[in-house]
Amino acid sequence: MTTPLTLTPGVRPDGVALLTAAGEIDMSNTDTLAAALESTPGPVVIDLTSVEYLDSAGLSVLFAHADRITLIANPLLTPVLTISGLADLATVHEGGPDVR
Amino acid sequence: MARCEDPEQGPLTAAGSGVFAADDEVGRDLALVDWRATPLGPPEEWPQSLQTAVSILLSSRFSMWMAWGPELTFFCNAAYRRDTLGRKYPWALGRPASEVWAEIWDDIGPRIDTVLATGKATWDEALLLFLERAGYPEETYHTFSYSPLRDDSGTVVGMLCVVSEETERVIGERRMATLRDLGSDPSVVRTEQEMLAFACRQLGRNLRDLPFTLTYLYQDGGGARLAGVTGISAGHPAAPLTLPADDRDAVWPAAALARGESVVVPLDPVPDDRAPFAGLPAGDWPEPPTQALVVPLLQQGSAPYGFLVAALNRYRALDEAYRGFVELAAGHVAAGVASARSYQAQQRRAEELAELDRAKTVFFSNISHEFRTPLTLIMGPVEELRGRLQGADAQVREELEVIRRNGLRLGKLVNTLLDFSRIEAGRMQASYEPVDLAEVTAELASLFRSAIDKAGLAFRVDCPPMDEPVYIDRGMWEKVVLNLLSNALKFTFEGSIGVTVRGEDDHAVVTVTDTGIGVPADEVPRLFERFHRIENARSRSNEGSGIGLALVQELVGLHGGTITADSTEGEGTRFTIRLPYGSAHLPAEAITAAGTGAGATAADPYVEEALRWLPADDGGEPAGDTMGMSSREGSAARSGGSAAPARVLVADDNADMREYLVRLLKGAGYQVSTVGDGMEALDAVRADAPDLVVSDVMMPRLDGLSLVAALRSDPRTAAVPVVLLSARAGQEASIEGLQAGADDYLVKPFTAAELLARVRANMDMARLRQHQARWRTALVDSLQEAFFVCDERGAVVEINSAFTDILGYGPENLPYTPIHPWWPDAATDPEAHRQVADAFGGLLGPGQGSYTIPVTHRDGHRMWVSVTFNHAQDPDTGRRVVVGTLRDVTAEHYAIQRESALASLSTSLSQAGSLSDALTGALRELQSLWRARSVLAAVFDQGDEPTVTATGEPVDWHGLPEERRRTLTDLLQRPLLTPVAGDDGVGIMLEHPEGQLALWVDLGGHRPFTGEDQVLLSLLAGRLAQGLVRAHQIDQQRETAIALQRAILGPAQLPEGFAVRYEPATRPLEVGGDWYDTVALPGGRIGIVVGDCVGRGVEAAAVMGQLRSACRALLLQDDSPARVLMALDQFAAGVPGAKCTTVFCAVLDPETGRLSYSSAGHPPGILAHPDGSTGLLDGGRSVPLAVRPGATRPESETVIPARATLMLYTDGLVERRRRPLYSGIDQASQAVQDGRNVAVDDLATQVMIRLAPADGYDDDVALLLYRHPAPLEMTFPAESSQLAPVRKALRGWLGQCDLPTQIVQNILVAAGEACANAIEHGHRHTPGDIVRLRAEASVDNLRLTVADSGRWKSPEPEANAHRGRGVALMRAMMQQVTITPGPYGTTVDMQMRIA
Repeated sequence: MTTPLTLTPGVRPDGVALLTAAGEIDMSNTDTLAAALESTPGPVVIDLTSVEYLDSAGLSVLFAHADRITLIANPLLTPVLTISGLADLATVHEGGPDVR
Repeated sequence: MARCEDPEQGPLTAAGSGVFAADDEVGRDLALVDWRATPLGPPEEWPQSLQTAVSILLSSRFSMWMAWGPELTFFCNAAYRRDTLGRKYPWALGRPASEVWAEIWDDIGPRIDTVLATGKATWDEALLLFLERAGYPEETYHTFSYSPLRDDSGTVVGMLCVVSEETERVIGERRMATLRDLGSDPSVVRTEQEMLAFACRQLGRNLRDLPFTLTYLYQDGGGARLAGVTGISAGHPAAPLTLPADDRDAVWPAAALARGESVVVPLDPVPDDRAPFAGLPAGDWPEPPTQALVVPLLQQGSAPYGFLVAALNRYRALDEAYRGFVELAAGHVAAGVASARSYQAQQRRAEELAELDRAKTVFFSNISHEFRTPLTLIMGPVEELRGRLQGADAQVREELEVIRRNGLRLGKLVNTLLDFSRIEAGRMQASYEPVDLAEVTAELASLFRSAIDKAGLAFRVDCPPMDEPVYIDRGMWEKVVLNLLSNALKFTFEGSIGVTVRGEDDHAVVTVTDTGIGVPADEVPRLFERFHRIENARSRSNEGSGIGLALVQELVGLHGGTITADSTEGEGTRFTIRLPYGSAHLPAEAITAAGTGAGATAADPYVEEALRWLPADDGGEPAGDTMGMSSREGSAARSGGSAAPARVLVADDNADMREYLVRLLKGAGYQVSTVGDGMEALDAVRADAPDLVVSDVMMPRLDGLSLVAALRSDPRTAAVPVVLLSARAGQEASIEGLQAGADDYLVKPFTAAELLARVRANMDMARLRQHQARWRTALVDSLQEAFFVCDERGAVVEINSAFTDILGYGPENLPYTPIHPWWPDAATDPEAHRQVADAFGGLLGPGQGSYTIPVTHRDGHRMWVSVTFNHAQDPDTGRRVVVGTLRDVTAEHYAIQRESALASLSTSLSQAGSLSDALTGALRELQSLWRARSVLAAVFDQGDEPTVTATGEPVDWHGLPEERRRTLTDLLQRPLLTPVAGDDGVGIMLEHPEGQLALWVDLGGHRPFTGEDQVLLSLLAGRLAQGLVRAHQIDQQRETAIALQRAILGPAQLPEGFAVRYEPATRPLEVGGDWYDTVALPGGRIGIVVGDCVGRGVEAAAVMGQLRSACRALLLQDDSPARVLMALDQFAAGVPGAKCTTVFCAVLDPETGRLSYSSAGHPPGILAHPDGSTGLLDGGRSVPLAVRPGATRPESETVIPARATLMLYTDGLVERRRRPLYSGIDQASQAVQDGRNVAVDDLATQVMIRLAPADGYDDDVALLLYRHPAPLEMTFPAESSQLAPVRKALRGWLGQCDLPTQIVQNILVAAGEACANAIEHGHRHTPGDIVRLRAEASVDNLRLTVADSGRWKSPEPEANAHRGRGVALMRAMMQQVTITPGPYGTTVDMQMRIA
C-alpha cells in the first residue's frame, strides 16, 4: 500500500504549469511524484501547502527538477527544505496554515 | 501499548466473515469450523448479539470462553487457548461445551444451567478441576465467573466465562506452606527421633503433593532402616522396615541414593498383586500414585544420611518446581538430622566435662577434710611423745622423728591441695597488704640458706630495697617463694641457686634461678600443669605430687601477676614472676593496711622436707634454730599437748611490776606479753587467748575483778585461767576475787617460787579442764559443715574452721553482730537482702528450721548456703542460744542457674529472626549471665578479615586492640567448645554456619572464672552453635518463602509505562499482605490496583491472593473503580481476615491519560507534574473494605498530563513511627518529583532506596509507578507501505506527549528517515523483515530508537545521494543521533530536548 497522495495538474492564471499535492510524500510514492513532474515540461509551480510530510526520497525527486520548479510550502516543511539546501536552489514561497 | 495498525487495516483477511477478525490465529481456526453443521449456522447469518459477543471474546487479552445456542457451542480466545485449553485446541472450537469439558461437566454443568435459568452470574474461587488437556487428568484450579449472554431479543442463550487459571498459585502456596511448616519447629534442639516425628507430621499434612513418603536412614553396618512414614503404614510391602545392603532386588534403589543421585521410580503394580507396589495408598486422591521421586538426604562433605521416598501426585507432571519442592523438603529433613546428630555429640561432650569437673571437686574437698583431722590427732601425740621421750634411746627418737617429718610432709601436701580446692571454689581467703617485696622475699629466702649451704650449693640472694610497695598476701607469697626454692634445690646438684627482686616500669620482677638439670624444651609448656611430672628426671627425691608449681601459678594469678619459666636442659631453669604495683588489680575488700597480715610462717614443712633430701650428718635434728623459737630449756613451760611454749598475758599498770613478772616468767620458759590495764587485757584475750592471765586487781579503766567478770561472761574466753594479784590482804578480798571467777589469788608481796608454782598449777588445772573443751573444738572443727552458735540477740559468737572456709570470716572478729557482714547489700541487692532477713527472723523465733539463702563471701563473691538450726541452752550460763550448721550449696544453686541460663539462651535463640539476631541476642545473654564487661564474637569466615559482633558499641576487626585480636586468633588453634582462660576473661571456639567463631567474654578486672563457669560456658557455646545453625536455616527458609510470594504476586507482564516493586518487611523478615496489580481491560484501558491487607505472614498473603483475584475479575466485568470496590466490599465481608484491607483502585485510559479512581481508606496517589509541581489523588475517598458493606463509594476522575508520573504505594513506604503520615507523603512526593526525568523503572529503584529507613522497612511495601504516556513500541515489516501507518501512530503518540507542532514535525521527519533507511538498506534483499521502533518521553527529553535486523551495506554514494541527505536530516532534526551498525542489525538512537 502506498502513502495517500493526490497530485492535481493545472495551470496558473499566469500560464505557468501548476502541480497541487495533498497528503504525504515518502519513498513509497515518490515514483508518482516523479512521473507527474516528468510529464509536465517547462517551469512548474508545485503547491505543497497541503503536504504534511516530505522526506528525503521526495526531496531527491524535487532536487532533480530544482532548476525549473517553484515551491509553495506549508511552514511545517520549511526546516526540511532549508536544511536539505533545496531552498537555495529553488524558489520557495510560504503558504498554507501557520505553524502553531 | 498502542497498536501499530488500525483495526480495520489489520493484516487479517479472514475467509468469509469479519466476525473473527479481532484475532489472527484463533479467528482463522474459528473460520475453518464447519458452522453449517452446528445449530448456529453460517457466521453470515449469526444474530448481531452473537457477532458482538464473539468479537469481544476474541479482542480480549484476558482468558475467556463462551457457549452459545441450544448445544452451548464452544468458543474461546487466544488467552484461554494458551492458559487452559492445551491439546484440545483447535478440536474444541464449535463443539458442544459438554463435549469439550466432558471430564468436568459434573462440576461446571450445574453452574452453567443456573446462569441460563436465572440470568445471574456465578463466581468461583480457585475451584479444583481435573482437566484432560495434556494427555492425563491434571489437577488445576480456576477462579471464574459465568455470566449470561443474551440474544437480540434479550433472552439468555449462552454464557461467557471469564477465567483466571490459578493452578500455579494454589499449588505454590500449598508447597510453600509445607516447607514453612517444616522449618517452623519451635524448639531449638531435639533428638533425631523427635525431629523425624515432627517432619513427618508436616509432610503428612500435604497428602496432595506427597500422597505418601518414606524416610530411610543408612545404618552403620550397611543397609538402611525405615525412620519415618507419612500416608502409608510402616511394614507395607512398599515400606519394608529395613533395606539390606547390596540387594539388587530391593524395593528402593538404596545404592544409587548412597551415591547422592535422585531416582524416579515407577510404581507399577504388575505383574501380580504381590508386587510391592500393589495396593498403595492414594493420599488425598482417588487413585494411587504412579511414580515416586527418591531423593538423598544429603550431608555436607560426606555420604548422605539416607533418602526420602516421595510418592508423586499423579495429577501433576514432575516439573522443575515439583522436583525442587521435593528436594527442598528432603533438605529440611537432612538439615534436621544433621542438627540432631551434632547436638547429641555436643551434649555428650559437655556432660563428660561436667562429670570430670565434679569428680575433681569431690576429690579435692574429700582429701582435704578427711586427712586433716586424723593428721592433727597423729601430730599432737607425736609432739607430746617427743617431749616425753627426751631421755629414750637414739633409735626410738629417730623413729619418732621419721613419723614427725612425714606427718609434716603429709600436712603440707594436704594444705596445698586444700589451697587448690579453695582457689577452684573461689574461696581463697586473701588479705593483700603493701610490703617491700625485696625485703619479704629475702627473709623467706634466708629460711632456705642452711639447707642450700648443706647441699654444697652457692646461694645468691640479690634483693635491694624497692621504692614502690607491692601488695601481697604474706601466706600465699611465702608458698610461692618456698615452693620455687624447694623445687630448685630438689633438681640442682651443683652450682648455685639465686633469688633476685627488681623493679620495672609498672611491676616488680622476682626471679628464682638454678643451675640444675633443666627441663627439656617440649616439657616447658607443661611445667605448670597440675599433677604433671617429668618422667625420669634426676632429682634429690622421688617424692612429690607434681602440684607445687601449679599452685605457684594459681597463687601468682591471684596476685594479678604472671609466672614464666625458661629452661635449658643440663644448664638450669629460671622462673620469672611479675607482680604489678598498686592495688587496682586486686579486689578492694581484700586490701589491708601494712603490717596487719604478718603472722607465723609455715616454712618448717618446706625446709624440713628439703633437709631430708640431703645426706644425713646427724640424728636428724631439725633446723630448729631457723624456726625462731625460744630456748629449748624450760621444758616445764611447755604445755602437755604442744611443742610451743605456754603463753602468759601480764596485766599491770605498774611498769616495774610488769618487768619483774616478765623476768620471772620468761626465766621459767614462758612466752610473755604485757598490757597496761584491764581493757587492753580484755582486747588482747579476745584477739588471741593466752594460756593464762596474770592480772593486778587495781588498774585504771577496768580493774582485775571486772576483767575476770568480762572474761567469764564471754563463752570464748570463759575458760582462760586468771591469777589475780592484789595488795589487799585478808580472806574477804580473796573470796571476792574467787567469787568473781578468778582461778587463784596471790597477795603481794609474794615469792618468785610461789608465783611460778601457782601459775604452773593453774595452767595444768586449766589444761585438764579444757581437755573436754578441746575435744569439742576438735570435733566441731572437723565437721565438714560450717558450725556456728548465736546468742539470743542473733550475734554469732562461735564458729568452726569450715565456717571460715566457706564464708571467709574467721574467729578473730567474733562476735559478729547482726546485721552480719555476709548479708547481701541492701542497696545493691535488696531481694537477696530480704531473703536473708526473713531467714534471720525465723532463726530468732522458736523451734528449728532450715533455709537456703544467698550470702556474700568476704572477698565479695556471691554464694548460696543452706542453713539448719536449732535452739539450745548453754549449760554454763543457762542462756538460750541457737546452734546451727550451714552448707555451701553454691554448686547446686548454679546447676539450677545453669539450666535456667541454657533455657534463657534457647529462648533467645528461638526468637531470633535471623542469624545475626541470634548471635547478638546470645551475646547479650552471656553478658548478663556473667555480668561481663563485654562479650564479643569474631567469625573467621571467607572474608578478608573476621566479622566481629559485640555487645555495646559496634566495633570491627580493626577497631579491636592488637592484643585482643591476637587472643582471638590464638583461639583458632584450640579445640572446639573448650574454654581458654586469659588474664581478664575467657574465650572459647565454636562452629558458626559461615566459619569458625571465636567468642571472648571480657570479665573485666580480676575475677575468678571457676570450673563451674567453664562447664557452663562450654554448654552454652554448644547450645549457641546449635542455635546459629538453626537461625541460618531460618534465613534460608524465609528467602525461599519470599521468592515464592514474589512468584504469586503481581501480573506476569506489566503494560508499557509501568514499573512496580515489592519489598517485604526487614524485621521480622516475613511475607506480607501488600499487593499491586494491573489488568488489561476492554478498549485498551488498564485497571490499576494497589492494596494492603491487614497483618503479616502467610495468612495475610493468602487473603491478599483472594482479594487480588477477585478485584481482577470484578474490573473485567465493570470498569468503574467505585463499583468494583463496592463489589469487593461484599466479597471481602465473606473472607476471614479481609476486613479493613485498604485498596486504591483506578482505571486508566492510556490514550488520553484519563484516570478514574476510588480509594478504600488507602493513602492518596502522588502525581508529579512536568512543571515540577506535585498533586495528590485524594478524591474518591471512603472507608477500608468491608467496613460498611453496601454503602455507596465515591469516585473521582483526573487527567494525567503528558509526561507526568503517577505513584501508588502502600503505607509501609511512608509511615514511620513518631512522624506524621503527611511528612512521609511529602518526602515520597519529592522523591518522585526529583526523578521525573529518570526512566520509570530506575525511578522505582530510586524511590525504594531513598525512602528506606536506616535499618530497613519495618512493614512490607508495594509500589507502582506509571509515566504518561507509556513509551510507544512498534514492530512492522520492512516495507515502504508501512511508513504511513507508522507515521500516523507516532504522530498520535507525540500528540499525547503534548509537544509543539514543529517539534512533532521534526521528530516525524527524523523517525521517517530512520525507518526509510531500515527499509531500504537493511532489508534490500529480504523485504518483510521486522523493524522495531521505540519512543519514550520524560519531562524534558524524548528518545527514539529504530532497529532492524539486517546489515547496512557500505555506503554507495552514487546510488544513495538522497540517503546521505536522509542522515543529514536526522542529525539536523534531533540533538543527538547515534547509528550503531552490528552483525545482527543496525540501531539508530536519537534524542531531543523537549523542554
